[in-house]
Amino acid sequence: MAPPEDTSQPRLAAGCRWGPEQKAGGEENRMILFPEGAIKLQGTGRQVLERCDGQRTFAEIIAELQSQFADADPTKIRADISQFLEQLRHKRIVDY
Amino acid sequence: MIPNPLALIAEITHRCPLHCVYCSNPLELAAANSELATQEWIDAFQQSGKLGMLHAHFTGGEPLARPDLTELIAGARAAGLYTNLITSGLGLAEARLQALVEAGLDHIQLSFQDSREDAANWIAGAKAHAHKIELSRLIRRHKIAFTVNLVIHRQNIDHVGEMIAFIEQLAPDRMEIAHTQYYGWALKNRAALLPTRAQLDKAVEAVSAAEKRLAGRIRIDFVVPDYYARFPKACMGGWGRRLMLINPSGKVLPCHAAEVIPGLAFENVREQTLEFIWRESASFQRFRGEEWMPEPCRTCDQRTEDFGGCRCQALLLAGDATATDPACSLAPAHYIVEAALAEANSSGAISQPVPAGSFVQLQQRAGGLWSYRINPE
Repeated sequence: MAPPEDTSQPRLAAGCRWGPEQKAGGEENRMILFPEGAIKLQGTGRQVLERCDGQRTFAEIIAELQSQFADADPTKIRADISQFLEQLRHKRIVDY
Repeated sequence: MIPNPLALIAEITHRCPLHCVYCSNPLELAAANSELATQEWIDAFQQSGKLGMLHAHFTGGEPLARPDLTELIAGARAAGLYTNLITSGLGLAEARLQALVEAGLDHIQLSFQDSREDAANWIAGAKAHAHKIELSRLIRRHKIAFTVNLVIHRQNIDHVGEMIAFIEQLAPDRMEIAHTQYYGWALKNRAALLPTRAQLDKAVEAVSAAEKRLAGRIRIDFVVPDYYARFPKACMGGWGRRLMLINPSGKVLPCHAAEVIPGLAFENVREQTLEFIWRESASFQRFRGEEWMPEPCRTCDQRTEDFGGCRCQALLLAGDATATDPACSLAPAHYIVEAALAEANSSGAISQPVPAGSFVQLQQRAGGLWSYRINPE
């Protein structure tokens, strides 16, 4: 199984969708619902997945996050997001 | 404070066009005329959403036997729940599928009994296989999650590799290959269903090879038989810890089989709210937490992983719902499971894979082998 390429257009897999927003301790969480489970997303994970709309390319998602987190090492951001999406694809939550 | 339940199992009817020999429904099925009405279910979904539940799993029997299924799915979606339909597919064609998807169906879980038509129909006690294949193609045209569910056992486990290849062609997102769990009809038919150790080892190898091959394309969830495990399964994720089940007549249970436990009374959603039942009812508190645990569970490191195993299995095998699950290698009653395994692995055991003959031949041969699940009144 391969990581996403620059031209990949990540999207939520069939039958995976955002659930209701939940507020816990001042932080807004969103859930991704999928068959037999759910994951709570906050912070960067949420920002990445909200951009997985099937329109933006992997390269565009990375560029957006890199400019948003200008202090962080851009290479590391790329590697982290790539790994994150690959894991979610493995769980059949994301397709690209 | 007790955490909220995560999911509702909505057992909306016990009626079913199949008669699977491994059915885990109770031997005493809920009668058709006792079933909850449409609005009673919709009200229960509303309560579930407010209680913080995320998923509604529609099961049965065969959920499609309810003519109001589309309305029920829409009701669960409106309550904020993720909707999962667990089905044999009988009673589903394009128009109804389209209506279900439009009503908000998120996920469909279609059962297969085998890759070989004769054997599949033989296990189901009905000619269902060809329709299921046809239906898979229709399902893939819709943007919903698609899981194929396959129950394995002594009679089909030897060609699990062939069955995986068959399912692969149906292009699901996920396949669940689950070993039979011995409750209800499956316990009654256990001698014909429990595999040998050699069969199991071979199957584990085949599944693990398929997992590697299909990674990123089809996810495989594999459930091994707890009889062969060292520790018991965390049944339902722990009693009264994650799940609530409402049976066709509205009884609210911590698990599918809980009614077999004597001395426990279960509330009905017609009379009590789900919140009250979850937080206050004696039945949901009976085996919640660790207070009830006997030794060796009480001081065992595994107790936060498996919660002492399954209460119904303890009752069914050891005659005591408060005992450590006999599937556990540390349980005082483990000898009962060992005896069943010794029998399954002995030379006098029921012969393995029956060569596929015609459906009629297979059914005739099944006479002495097992009992088919009947239908409720």
